Amino acid sequence: MARDYDHLFKLLIIGDSGVGKSSLLLRFADNTFSGSYITTIGVDFKIRTVNIDGQRIKLQIWDTAGQERFRTITSTYYRGTHGVIVVYDVTNGESFANVKRWLLEIEQNCDVVNKVLVGNKNDCPDRKVVLTEDAERFARTLNIILFETSAKDNLNVEEMFLCVTRLVLKSKSTGEQRKEKVLLAEVTRRKRKQDR
Amino acid sequence: MGSRIRENVQHFFECFCEVVPPSDNKEAWIIQQYPYTYKDEEVLKSVSKFAYPYKFENTVIQHYSFVLTDIESKWTFGFCRHDPRSQTAIVVLSYLPWHQAFYKFLDNIAVLMHSRDTESLNEFLSAVYKAKLTGPGKKFVVPFNKGENVFSVDCPHPIAHQLPSIPENRNLTEYYNAVDANNMMIIFASMLYERRIIFTSKRLTRLSACVQSANDLLYPMIWQHIFIPVLPMTFSDYLLAPMPFLIGVPDEVLKNVNKCDVGEVVILDADNNTIETPFDDVHNLPSEVVASLKKQLKNRSALLGDGVSRAFLRALVQLIGGYRDALSFEDKANFDEEKFIETRPSSLQPFLKEMLQLQIFRQFIEDRLNILGAGLGFTDQFETEVSVYSEKSSSKLKQQYKEWTSTMKKEGTAFFRNVKDKANPAVKSAVKTVKDGGKGMKSAYKGLRSKLKDNQNPRQFENGLKSSLDKPRSAPNSPTNKRRPMTFRRETPISLTGSAVERPYSPLSPMSHTLSPDSADHSQTASPSLDIPKIDLMNEMKDILKLRLDTPPIDRSLKPVRSLENFKNSSPMSSPERWIFPSRSPNPPLTSPPTRLFLSTQKSQDTQNLLQSPDDVFSSPPVPPRPSKTRDLFGTAPFIIGGGHNENGHPVFLVANQHTVDVVRLSPPTNSPRRKKDEETEDLIRLDSSSSDIDDFDPLKSNSANSLSNNAFLQNFHLPSSHNQVPMSVTNPLYNYENHLTSPNGTLPSGTITPRNPDRETVELLQEYGLDFQSFSSSKFDPFVSNRDNAGKVTSQNQWTKFE
Repeated sequence: MARDYDHLFKLLIIGDSGVGKSSLLLRFADNTFSGSYITTIGVDFKIRTVNIDGQRIKLQIWDTAGQERFRTITSTYYRGTHGVIVVYDVTNGESFANVKRWLLEIEQNCDVVNKVLVGNKNDCPDRKVVLTEDAERFARTLNIILFETSAKDNLNVEEMFLCVTRLVLKSKSTGEQRKEKVLLAEVTRRKRKQDR
Repeated sequence: MGSRIRENVQHFFECFCEVVPPSDNKEAWIIQQYPYTYKDEEVLKSVSKFAYPYKFENTVIQHYSFVLTDIESKWTFGFCRHDPRSQTAIVVLSYLPWHQAFYKFLDNIAVLMHSRDTESLNEFLSAVYKAKLTGPGKKFVVPFNKGENVFSVDCPHPIAHQLPSIPENRNLTEYYNAVDANNMMIIFASMLYERRIIFTSKRLTRLSACVQSANDLLYPMIWQHIFIPVLPMTFSDYLLAPMPFLIGVPDEVLKNVNKCDVGEVVILDADNNTIETPFDDVHNLPSEVVASLKKQLKNRSALLGDGVSRAFLRALVQLIGGYRDALSFEDKANFDEEKFIETRPSSLQPFLKEMLQLQIFRQFIEDRLNILGAGLGFTDQFETEVSVYSEKSSSKLKQQYKEWTSTMKKEGTAFFRNVKDKANPAVKSAVKTVKDGGKGMKSAYKGLRSKLKDNQNPRQFENGLKSSLDKPRSAPNSPTNKRRPMTFRRETPISLTGSAVERPYSPLSPMSHTLSPDSADHSQTASPSLDIPKIDLMNEMKDILKLRLDTPPIDRSLKPVRSLENFKNSSPMSSPERWIFPSRSPNPPLTSPPTRLFLSTQKSQDTQNLLQSPDDVFSSPPVPPRPSKTRDLFGTAPFIIGGGHNENGHPVFLVANQHTVDVVRLSPPTNSPRRKKDEETEDLIRLDSSSSDIDDFDPLKSNSANSLSNNAFLQNFHLPSSHNQVPMSVTNPLYNYENHLTSPNGTLPSGTITPRNPDRETVELLQEYGLDFQSFSSSKFDPFVSNRDNAGKVTSQNQWTKFE
């Protein structure tokens, strides 16, 4: 079966409800007009195919309802995914607090999950309560990239999605390289053994 | 909060919809709804999709439920009814997960719709919608049609206060019928690993019921992930979700899905009772938890009522009940993860570490902390089981026990593990000793017993066993684990004349459970027969024929025999023809029964292995109906209602029959407990429980032709297919009981057999396979012959002393 893509990446978008996850997805997705089912079956996803370095990458970005009820989001939730987009609302301090807790949790318990931090609704400076510096500092401690976006004004959205896609792509190829290296090392070791 | 059920629900239902099926160029659509003010377009749009999840033949009346999840992840239940006589489907949306009640509601609506009187339907819906909801356990009663009719349903307790039981809970009954214990465990384990799980079936009823029940069996935890009991065709792409999910996918929908795209997923085919899984999650659960769960689920007769639910609950108690030890209280309640792991037995620790990474477990802890923070106590079933389970290890006994077990551990005996798993006291230690006896375990037993003695109230027995209430002699994984200490004590007190005795043990089987006074009507007619389709007769027979002499005797003791499952261990004899009449002496003397006394015990030394006898007493063979019309509450076969210790610290059991309660001492063997052929006549529990003064129940009167009946039985047994007896209806085992309820005195129309409760399912089963026992009646087969024999022997051996 001919595939219309070279890679399929499954990404998660997490964050409190109300931070604008759906808007970000809508902004990004191909199929802008397909309805959202997050309010009927508690899960939704959007698809888009992007082209990076000549490779066609199909992105599925998944969202589930009611994540704010979790003090921690455990690793089983991320198990099958390639990357996580963590969204807070720059006008809502609590949403940032949640995100910080979750990210620390991921850091502790998930081996390698590519992630970006996203402060959405960055379109109304008067109402902004989560300062860029604070968010920036936090992102640096976890060694992740921060984006401040506005789905409404379509600011930084595209950049953010492309960035996370690159991250996944990179980790995938380094992962494969690593695997190859390990394999190679194994083969050479065996060879040496035989030689002896 | 982790609960996904809404609180403070105002209305019985939120919206009623009638849905027109999809046609060639039109999707399914809602032709009418009530109340008209319900305006959630997103929900209404999806209702029609869920009402017709795919194109299916509307040939039978179907009830099923679907679930919608809102933005806060709370559930709305859609109850749906398809009827071949109707062009449309009807759906009720509600926040309440009351399946039975809503299926009844839908039936009511259907009747009104067919009456073609739209006004009455409107009036009915409006009456129900406006009626104030009643509390759990009460009846929700709504008069309608100007007070001429009444709609009435039971408001069920939440699962935390009443575990789903078979057959009352239709979902669990369906799940249990469709999926065997082993597969239920695989699903349970998969859920404990938060896998991506698909259930599939051709029948929507089964599909939604199984998904709902799988979640119910997770109590006290709740599935926190994607939960879609019925997935419509239009949503099939959602199976690609990388997160954990539990989704019911109709067979037709699954056919359209490319399995490669779905990735690593557990698939339960509920129609064929098969599971495909890339994982080995059961194997990764702690083995002692799996072992005790397996054991509980093996005993089919104990699974009616809430037996299945409780078995899984106990597994969870074993796993996470110890969360209490990790709680600390400063300014608020805290849960210390490390402490949680450290305080658990080392065998559990690896798994529990993984459990900390489960959303369902984290939410469970959150909820418990919230409850504690709110200053509310725990009263739910989980905490009750935890108390029972931890009781054994919370006292002084705990320390001594620990010391002892560690010594044993050093000695490296297998016994250590057994005893450790089996929790509590002397009864079980004795039991285990018997089980493992002959393997040099005697000293271990003695050691434990002497320690246990210190902890016991020596006057327990004189006090009518009352004091043993303080220490429930029960444990989730004890060998005789059909006890329901809390509920049973509350629900079915039996007053033993002369002493205010409560039973520290609940009965050992659902038989005695269901025979509680307030449910007697049901129990006589309803409970058995549910697992008929599930018993593999050939396998059962194989086991019987193989005669597993090495089966630990305890496995078959202390429980009334209700199914073939129990028979297979019941006879030590080498001749398969005799399997149904274990331990009968060739020609027992027929003596008059002893005087009836309320309590009796055996003072003399008992060299016989009494442990081995109970089922000999209990297992009356498949029996034809008793001619009498009198209905007795407890049946006529004795059954265990409780246990404790007598003044010497020896374990004793209370064995009740129709009119008496006897104390039977359990004695550990002094040498090999294995049954040998030549011991068989001694392997009897001593019961002076015959009922001499009851006319309609006098085994001695019935007949003296037991050898004849025996022969008759054997003939039948060997020539099964030659009979054209019409078997009792087993076409719909699920709702058998409803039919039976229609005959108020528990008898069925002539031509069918109405054996007494405990054996009916066996009879049905055998009939289903062409074995029929009708000729027993004609040959005056005496169902109680073994009882009589025992009783006879009791007096003849005169080993019992009685006291009051």
